[in-house]
Amino acid sequence: MKQNKIKQGVITGLTFGLIFIFLILTGFTQVGSDMIGNLLGNFEKAGAENALPVINLILFTGLIGLLMGLSTSKANLSNTWLASLLNSILAGLIAGLLVGAVILVTGSFHSQGVDFRNYLPKLGSEQMNYLLHYTTPLAAGTTYLITSTVASLIGGAIGKAFRQQSWTAHSMTWTKNTVKNIGKKLKLGQSPQRKIITILGLIVAGGLLYLLPLVWGSYWNYTMGTVAIYILLGIGLNIIVGFSGQLVLGYVAFFATGAYTFALLTAPQPHAILMNVWLAVGISVIVSTLTGLLLGLPILNLRGDYLAIVTLGFGEIVRILIRSDLLTFLTNGPKGVTNVVQPSWLGKVFSDVNYTHFLFLLVLIALFIAKRLKDSRTGRSWIAIREDQTVAQATGINTFKSKLLALALGAALAGLAGALFASRNQFTGPEDFTLMVSVNVLCIVIVGGMGSLPGIVVGAMVLKGLPEILRELDDYRLLVFGALLIAMMIIRPQGLWPAKKVSLELQRKDSLGDNIQEVEP
Amino acid sequence: MLNINSLNVSYGAIHALKGISISLNEGEIVALIGANGAGKSTTLNAISGILHPDSGEINFDGRSIAQSKPGEIVKQGIIQVPEGRKIFSRMSVYENLEMGGYSLSNKNQLRENMAQVFEIFPRLKERQKQLGGTLSGGEQQMLSMGRGLMAEPRLLLLDEPSMGLAPMLVEQIFTTIAKINNEGVSILLVEQNAQMALALSNRAYVMETGKIVLSGPSETLMENQMVKEAYLGG
Repeated sequence: MKQNKIKQGVITGLTFGLIFIFLILTGFTQVGSDMIGNLLGNFEKAGAENALPVINLILFTGLIGLLMGLSTSKANLSNTWLASLLNSILAGLIAGLLVGAVILVTGSFHSQGVDFRNYLPKLGSEQMNYLLHYTTPLAAGTTYLITSTVASLIGGAIGKAFRQQSWTAHSMTWTKNTVKNIGKKLKLGQSPQRKIITILGLIVAGGLLYLLPLVWGSYWNYTMGTVAIYILLGIGLNIIVGFSGQLVLGYVAFFATGAYTFALLTAPQPHAILMNVWLAVGISVIVSTLTGLLLGLPILNLRGDYLAIVTLGFGEIVRILIRSDLLTFLTNGPKGVTNVVQPSWLGKVFSDVNYTHFLFLLVLIALFIAKRLKDSRTGRSWIAIREDQTVAQATGINTFKSKLLALALGAALAGLAGALFASRNQFTGPEDFTLMVSVNVLCIVIVGGMGSLPGIVVGAMVLKGLPEILRELDDYRLLVFGALLIAMMIIRPQGLWPAKKVSLELQRKDSLGDNIQEVEP
Repeated sequence: MLNINSLNVSYGAIHALKGISISLNEGEIVALIGANGAGKSTTLNAISGILHPDSGEINFDGRSIAQSKPGEIVKQGIIQVPEGRKIFSRMSVYENLEMGGYSLSNKNQLRENMAQVFEIFPRLKERQKQLGGTLSGGEQQMLSMGRGLMAEPRLLLLDEPSMGLAPMLVEQIFTTIAKINNEGVSILLVEQNAQMALALSNRAYVMETGKIVLSGPSETLMENQMVKEAYLGG
């Protein structure tokens, strides 16, 4: 029993210690401290030696210690105060010792003139000095140890206090009940009122969508435009992956097809077709749809992993073809297509405000269509295929046709998004269409919650909007991305805004199961 | 009604059905018994069009359906209830049943059939809003069968309805099968529980490694020495 009680602290300490070392080696501690500095307003470099305020780094260390303490308390619900605090101290000591040791070793090497940059590009001389708090390795290591232990103890105490009082639990149930009661009051025989509230909500939301682009400036218009394009892509891929369950990894191919079709039809170079913008958008969508059909015909009989691999290849093939010598006469090769035309209405070219409005409108229309599709007979047949293709077939669904339709619709939306993307950037080149685009869109669908439409909006905001806003994290985008995805899958496997049914299934996993014993005959 | 003549099916190099012949008359319950891997499920999959035979005939009401697609076969009235209670676990009971009536174009008909299924399986009516995956094993089997009935089958292909169920539930399921048969639906029943299957069916076929080794009226087969030893426990 006693051993078990200590085990929690040891494990937490080891985990957080290793995470912190990882953060140090990748240079993330610097970013974290700078962000704290930004918050506190003491980011400015002080003194003649260009020294950054050490307090920020110590605060960052403390923050991690605090988190560590909180997480030890979480695991020890039934423990006494003493045991709980002991665990926090233990975790803090272990993590502090680990980090301190690393600082001690690297610091000693550093003071002897070893340059780590060859192996760890983020650990230059300046960064090392900062990590050492501009003192000796021993002093710095001790500071880390003390900070970590004290912070962990504080975190543990706070966590324990919260658990003890179970404030969190109380407030949670209170919120839930209040929401429920309001919901009941609104529903109980007062449907006209409910309707009015819904309509009011829609008007406010619509007003915001109209007004915000007018006031928030071109930077936000650009960012939200990108988000909107990715929402369109997300809705399209969601039809394929979320609804019909076909794991297509080369979705970027349709995006590229749309963008290039539009660019080549409207740009003065290399073909000078100079087609009307709206006609070109229509043709881009049609060409992408045809690409979807063409790809679907041979491969849709593949299932699962095989389909994923083949489509992954297809995405890359399209990009490589576009930039190849073979097709340079058609696509302008690696140079890309410049001077792609921007949309205009009655002879007036869209301003960025018009453009954002237009994108928002398209997103709303696409969301509406997708919602209607989901609840239709076709949508049901997709979901049936996702659940079990063989059974779907046995109920009389033409699975091939159904899957092909999903792929074609998804491709059409990607084509539309591609055309808008090319026209907004007034440029399109092969490097806009790497595998990362497919991965990003897939992440949006998964993070938002498979098959859920509001989830896509939230997912696109988080995955495309946040990196734009958190510019400081730029170098670490992939790191944060990966960490976020792993954390998501552990904490919220159903997605940020899951489809209702999926969340039911994933949350109540333990209460599922047969109450009749399964016996293999 | 259903006539299968020297049917051959293979999975790549594996020859799963080696020229089997089976017939079933309107209103009959015919059982197909045999050990694991004998080819029972393969036979059902070939009839419902999920697999296509290499050679041989499958005739339903005199028309060949050997090369038809599953959707067309469903429309002709042959419905398969797959093995292992394969239901759509993330759909509600109601939606599962709706999917069963996917081939019906008339909404009123759908509602009528639903009422009929609820009459046969009152349990499903109580749970119509629940997700399929949260039902108990027995209820899932009921749902699987109910979904099959939604499409107005003339011939129901049941694949191991007793699989993994407690003995009491198995009996319940078999009673229901008899009830469905009384409504005029012909049934081809694949089972490992030979005892129950023979007791319920009019006629039966015994399969071994892709061939029919014995056939005849069920009462006669129950007395057969070989069947007794191999399938009825001596």
